[in-house]
Amino acid sequence: MMTALRQQIDRFFGRGDASVFVPVMDGALKPNEILDTLEAALEVEGVDNLVSSGSRLLASSGSTLLHLDASGGPCPIHQFPDPISALATDNSGRIAVGLASGRVAVIEQGQSQPAAEISIPCPTALLFDEGDLWIASGSQSNGPEQWQRDLMTLGKSGAIHRWDTRSDTTSEIARGLAWPYGLARMDDGAILVSESWRHRLVRLPPGNRRDGVIRPEETPLAGLPGYPARIVPDSGGGFWLAIFAPRNQLIEFVLRETEYRQRMIASMKPEFWIAPCLRSGSDFREPLQGGGVKQMGVLKPWAPTRSYGLVVHLDKHLEPTASLHSRANGHVHGVTSMALHGRNGAPHLWIGAKGDGVVVVVPEKGALDD
Amino acid sequence: MFRTDLYRKWRYRLIPDHVLGEILSKRWIDNAIPFSVLTVLVVSLYFSLPGFFDAYAVGEYSRQFAELGLVTLAMTIVMLGGGIDLSVGSIFAIANFVALYCVHVLSLDPLLALVVTLAAGIGCGALNGVLIGYFKMRAFLTTLVTLIIFRAVVDMLLLRYSLEISSVFPDSELWAQIGDGALFDTVPYTFLIAATILVVAHIVISRMRPGWHLMAVGGSRRSAYNAGIKVRRTVFFTYVASGTLTAMAAYMYAARLASTGAETGKGMELVVLTAAILGGTSLGGGRGSVAKAVFGSLIVLLLSNALVQFGIQGGATALIFGLILLASVIIEVRWSKNRGKILNKVYVSPTYVRLPDSPPTEADSGSPYAVNDKLRRVDVIGLGQIEGPEDVILDSDGNLYCGTRHGDIVRFFGPDHTRHEIFAHTGGHPLGMAFDRDGNLVSCVSGMGVYKVDPAGNVSKVTDQTNRSWTSIIDDSRLSLADDLDIAPDGRIFFSEATKRFDLETWPVDVIESRGNGRIVCWYPDSGKTRTVLPSLRFPNGICIALDGQSLFFAETWACRISRYWFDGPKAGKVEILIDNLPGYPDNINRASDGNYWLALVGMRGPAIDLALQMPDFRKRMSQRVASSNWLFPNINTGCVVKFNEQGEILDALWDLGGVNHPMVTSMREHQGYLYLGGIYNNRIGKYKIPGADPDWQGVATYWGPDWRAKK
Repeated sequence: MMTALRQQIDRFFGRGDASVFVPVMDGALKPNEILDTLEAALEVEGVDNLVSSGSRLLASSGSTLLHLDASGGPCPIHQFPDPISALATDNSGRIAVGLASGRVAVIEQGQSQPAAEISIPCPTALLFDEGDLWIASGSQSNGPEQWQRDLMTLGKSGAIHRWDTRSDTTSEIARGLAWPYGLARMDDGAILVSESWRHRLVRLPPGNRRDGVIRPEETPLAGLPGYPARIVPDSGGGFWLAIFAPRNQLIEFVLRETEYRQRMIASMKPEFWIAPCLRSGSDFREPLQGGGVKQMGVLKPWAPTRSYGLVVHLDKHLEPTASLHSRANGHVHGVTSMALHGRNGAPHLWIGAKGDGVVVVVPEKGALDD
Repeated sequence: MFRTDLYRKWRYRLIPDHVLGEILSKRWIDNAIPFSVLTVLVVSLYFSLPGFFDAYAVGEYSRQFAELGLVTLAMTIVMLGGGIDLSVGSIFAIANFVALYCVHVLSLDPLLALVVTLAAGIGCGALNGVLIGYFKMRAFLTTLVTLIIFRAVVDMLLLRYSLEISSVFPDSELWAQIGDGALFDTVPYTFLIAATILVVAHIVISRMRPGWHLMAVGGSRRSAYNAGIKVRRTVFFTYVASGTLTAMAAYMYAARLASTGAETGKGMELVVLTAAILGGTSLGGGRGSVAKAVFGSLIVLLLSNALVQFGIQGGATALIFGLILLASVIIEVRWSKNRGKILNKVYVSPTYVRLPDSPPTEADSGSPYAVNDKLRRVDVIGLGQIEGPEDVILDSDGNLYCGTRHGDIVRFFGPDHTRHEIFAHTGGHPLGMAFDRDGNLVSCVSGMGVYKVDPAGNVSKVTDQTNRSWTSIIDDSRLSLADDLDIAPDGRIFFSEATKRFDLETWPVDVIESRGNGRIVCWYPDSGKTRTVLPSLRFPNGICIALDGQSLFFAETWACRISRYWFDGPKAGKVEILIDNLPGYPDNINRASDGNYWLALVGMRGPAIDLALQMPDFRKRMSQRVASSNWLFPNINTGCVVKFNEQGEILDALWDLGGVNHPMVTSMREHQGYLYLGGIYNNRIGKYKIPGADPDWQGVATYWGPDWRAKK
């Protein structure tokens, strides 16, 4: 009763949960234009989920699995019937593939047909950890391609599953997550999960895994100014985190406007919604915000935007230490994944911008120096 | 579809939300609180104290008001200048003594006594003024000290002369009349005198130079000094005025009571300060008025009389006044701090709009609006040399004119338009332009009105105001955003004012409201008068006289429609909607060589904002909670040019989909086979070769004949 009353009061004054405050990009997240100045190594339409299998750099483009750094340019390895939504590899050359139709398949090295398959409603991220395959399922009700709908319906039905590939048993480890979209293993054996719609990372502590669901623990990385996606370990004990879209005051406001949201979802195509996206500004029917009006033919870098390019480096305590940006006027938007992979003998960070369909490369050392 | 739509439609049609913001933006809104307090007080006293307002009592109050009101005015003037005068009570006592001494002891004529009394007041005030104004001493401490000094002087004088004063009864009919005479035995003379002084003071403070200087000094001393106002002298005169008014009040008091008590004027500074602050005069200076002083002193007067009648003891009365003073200071501080914030929150007041469904624009849709790349290869004129050419026009020699946001009209020399000069400087951003019969370039200048530039480049005003509408709370007679114009064959200038509530910096915010904030106005060359012909339009923008010379087409940007208005002929006065479902926001309209009309779409509609237009409460909350640079806006980054005929059919559409050369179009003008494109946020003019257009056709010739030339 009091809670309901408080919610009504907050709604009237725009306070508390009704406040549309968006964290400022500051400190280690101070905007720069590094992503735009990097060498664009490849142009791959809809490039997603870069993974390194040691010798090969793999990625997906739609329903095609690609060998990205093949000598003659990206080379298709496998064609799936549905769009690929997640990838993982392990040292033995096994590849796990999440498909938008709601399946996860494991392919052994050298095979062309899946060795095993399970049904997961919305595979968004995969991670091999010894004999286990960790699977993030974004939502119970929306597939990977309907992530905007899941966000705009305030979805929080995501789950983490663990598939013991040796015994072929699957268990649900965590549930009630708001679009888990990235997985990484921490030093202590915990699994790090990026929870997009809550703008934070959580961790699933080791142990106690065999029986029942565990409660995710909070990490220091919360209140991000964007929606986190895939996480990869760096070579020094830290992590690289992709932020695939920025938070935006207008979108935060719409998320609190139930009637508008419902009518918007009911009557409009998702690309015209007031919602984050991987690439904005390509159609004049998209929503525009005041600061996004071009002046003298120039779009300001600080303009409010629905898409952005951002990669954040975290130290081993998950504190941000550096970031690479592509701002409102940039052209490396919608970074969903990265991979640490050798190039010319040195470790490089390969960054896949799904929104703009480009892969940019930076020496890992160089990225940290900036 | 949605039941709430019907409710919203009528809710926003019947309740004019924007009025609240307009009332709050008025200066007199500061008086609203004291006025309502006063009203409540009068009503409650009327019912709780029978006989409180009978004729005798009212006469008595008006005598008291004459005195208290003048001293409050004195305090108000000092406070307006940023100071404070605590010595008013002591000056009052001195002046009271001087008046009594002159009349009772010296038996001077009362008028002569008045002069002497005022001189005493002026002397006291001048002492304060010199110390505070010229020697720059702190007002609070200085007047506290003079309070004590003046009081000591009075005490000494009273000790010596009080017996002498009270033993004489002056033999002057005039003196007696001033004391308790009344016009028609009802209105006391002192009240009339005080009322006259208050009216004069109001005029001086609000309408004349000394008052404006006073406000400026109180508002910001440094700015006033930088503006060339003599700050010290102004401060000096506030204290002189204070002394004079206090002496005037004391003279009336002396005539009324002939009191030689030592209590005269004691504690008066507190009462008067309470009255001034209760009325809403700011302690910080610069804000206040005579009306506020009147309200404040009336409240204090009624309250003190009521407390006496309620039988409350003297000490308690002082306590009550102290608490009231405290409360009013708190309210004053909160109000002056938050007023701007409240105004910001309530000013934008959206209304319900449901636009017809937008026709398709996809390239393969077969729609007349289908996107294409015809404008991709336009030539560019003046890239980087001009900023904000909202409209362009060409004369018969092929010279190209455009306005810029720096307030210039720039002329590019034909036929190649590579060289340019500043043709004229208007001071505001010139928007729509047209040539008149005599070769003058007439232009709507934002923030200024309609101006005319003769062929030599001299700028003169045509009009900057129209008739004020009866229902508007803000004064809407001034033209704030004249946008486009065209000239009828008889020289009448029809022009649009896009919105009365926003300016050129914030014009896209008007779509958040989508109310009929704009109008079409006509200037009559015979009488020189300006009259609004079509009020309450939703951002009227482009105007073009039809080829029949009896009607005009006008675009309403936020309504996404084109209408035709007949100003002459058999259908005079009628308005007909020609196109009501444009896929974008229409801007300027101009004639085409094939007898049709060009129309610029400054931006394109999107489903998100179309939906928001049906939800005014959503937009209102957005305007309150979201920073303005984050508001949902009409998409004015992409636009196009279309051609329509008099039947309202779309014949052609020109797009630059890549947005490389000319993404934004607010205006276009056809001339000798080319289309020249302007854009309000562009830094260039586009030039597009129209396939198959008449290479000799000139727009201006269709108005004034083939022989028209801009006179050299």
